[in-house]
Amino acid sequence: MALLDSLGDSYTRRALVEIVIIGALCGAVGVHVVLRRLSFLTMAMTHATFPGVVVASLLGVNLVLGAGLFGVLVVAAVTTISGVSGAAGNSGGVGGAGAGRGGSGGGRDVSTVTGVVLSGGFALGVALMSAQDGSNRDLSAFLVGSILTVQPTDLVVSAVTALVVLAVLVALRKELLLAAFDPTALTAAGYPSRRLGLVLLLLVEAAVVTSLPAVGTIMAVALIVGPAATARVWCSRIPTMTAVSVAVAITCGVGGLAVSEQWDVAAGGAIVLTVATALVSSLVLAPLVGRSRRGAPGGGRARSVPAVAVTHQG
Amino acid sequence: MTDLLITPFEHPFMTRALIEIVILGALSAAVGVLVMLRRLAFLTDALTHAVFPGVVVGFMIGGTDGIVPGALLVAGLAAAGFTALASTRRISEDAAMAMLLTGCFAVGVVLVSRRESYTADLTGFLFGRLLTVNTTDITVTAVTAAVAGTVLLLARKELLLRAFDPQGAHAAGYPVWLLDLVLNLVIAMVVVAAVRAVGTVLVIALVVIPAAAARLLTGRLTSVLVVAVLLGPLSGWLGLVISYDASVHHDVRLAAGAAVVLVLVSIYGLVLAGSALRSWAARSRAARRRTRAGSGGAEGPGRPRAVGGPRELSREAV
Repeated sequence: MALLDSLGDSYTRRALVEIVIIGALCGAVGVHVVLRRLSFLTMAMTHATFPGVVVASLLGVNLVLGAGLFGVLVVAAVTTISGVSGAAGNSGGVGGAGAGRGGSGGGRDVSTVTGVVLSGGFALGVALMSAQDGSNRDLSAFLVGSILTVQPTDLVVSAVTALVVLAVLVALRKELLLAAFDPTALTAAGYPSRRLGLVLLLLVEAAVVTSLPAVGTIMAVALIVGPAATARVWCSRIPTMTAVSVAVAITCGVGGLAVSEQWDVAAGGAIVLTVATALVSSLVLAPLVGRSRRGAPGGGRARSVPAVAVTHQG
Repeated sequence: MTDLLITPFEHPFMTRALIEIVILGALSAAVGVLVMLRRLAFLTDALTHAVFPGVVVGFMIGGTDGIVPGALLVAGLAAAGFTALASTRRISEDAAMAMLLTGCFAVGVVLVSRRESYTADLTGFLFGRLLTVNTTDITVTAVTAAVAGTVLLLARKELLLRAFDPQGAHAAGYPVWLLDLVLNLVIAMVVVAAVRAVGTVLVIALVVIPAAAARLLTGRLTSVLVVAVLLGPLSGWLGLVISYDASVHHDVRLAAGAAVVLVLVSIYGLVLAGSALRSWAARSRAARRRTRAGSGGAEGPGRPRAVGGPRELSREAV
């Protein structure tokens, strides 16, 4: 294994530590993204952080900081224009069943507004980049990521972000669970559901921005959605799903890094492909295992939960 | 002013860019109306990224000529894959799509990272080179537009029924999955046609924004279609002019594709502000009328009056 051979280099060691931290962070946050169907919004966040990165590199400040600030702006724009936040943000969904059409008039549904904000943000980034002179090399690296060049300071930033995000997730676990499955009950019980949705979006944003240096703006989504979707295939309880998701994220991250070292391909791409492989093989294997387990008492329950998720979409 | 709007197109490369963006703008806007009705913005985004490996492989095998066939092949596969995924219940659609998208993109990145001019290729693919389109590109775009337009025209009734009433379409005996596949393939064709000109990432703007802005302006489907098809090419033209003017007269380099998208976003913003103002005015007018009715005509027959205050009540009822 080329990865083991190169463990002596400090940059490989740093990359390993970074991917473990990011894996834990994205795996935990991803559970909520998958449960609430926020993938498209996450995608929009990753794209729309791009102008922030460009502005930050023009001004010479920290790229991650610029990306984070711009991401917050995007979240604010989508929630104000479409008039929803977090919990309700999934109603349109993709290939939507036409639900939530009555809520806000056409042309202002979440899916469309997200598309507008996403492309607008990205175009702004491209325009700014074209105005500046040649040096877009590090920006391309930001698009596709370069985990092998992380600095010790990046590690500290990632670790602190991960700790804060995980702490918030643990502190709000009951409220977030209720919000994901029954937003109406949450509002009725008197929780500030809008603010809670916003908090969740900010957590997702933190995960996106932290994983930018490793896998880049576009593929950060895979690291958030993929492990959680894999865990969703196997688990039906949120604590176990979170644990499995974190484990899958870390394993795939390290595996992808090993693949990248072995065959000399882009690290970000290799990590994402490992995640995709894990998800696809889970999708293929789950029915086979499920069939043999159907008699077990757990089988029935595991089956009933997707039904909950499906009705929730409507 | 007319000088400013027309002079740039005396250059042949600007004329070609204009023709390309006008065709693309009209085509994407027409498809965009259906994308909006079916809320497929994410699918469009996913397809733009998914064609990346097709572009890379096509370029490796056949050079520049291989790009469009490669992209078309992969886009067709991705559209079919999505139609299949949408029918399984094991994984939610948006998560499946996010993985399809990033997975395909990662394949492209891995393939490209083995080549020398890694970042230059990637940048060109992502952001497009609108000003360097040649006659062949325009022909390809025009043919794609003609095919996609014909399909839409032929299947318009069925696609609309599917968009507004999937159960009704199913009950009437239409093969819903086939209609979905057709629409997904048409979207894929638009994406492929637009990839070289405006780049993968900005295609979604051309598709989504004209329809969304038109929908804010009018409620009738035919008018939405007409307004969208006018808006697309118009903003393409304006964007090119702005980009040219900024680069030539004001010494600010501004990428043409990005300028087009920024014009589109500004139009959407204006329309959005306008419609927000209008609905605010309508609401305050209604509130005033209600207040007057509440104080003047409250003694009218058959109107039970709450003690707490009729205004709060009526607002809640609204």
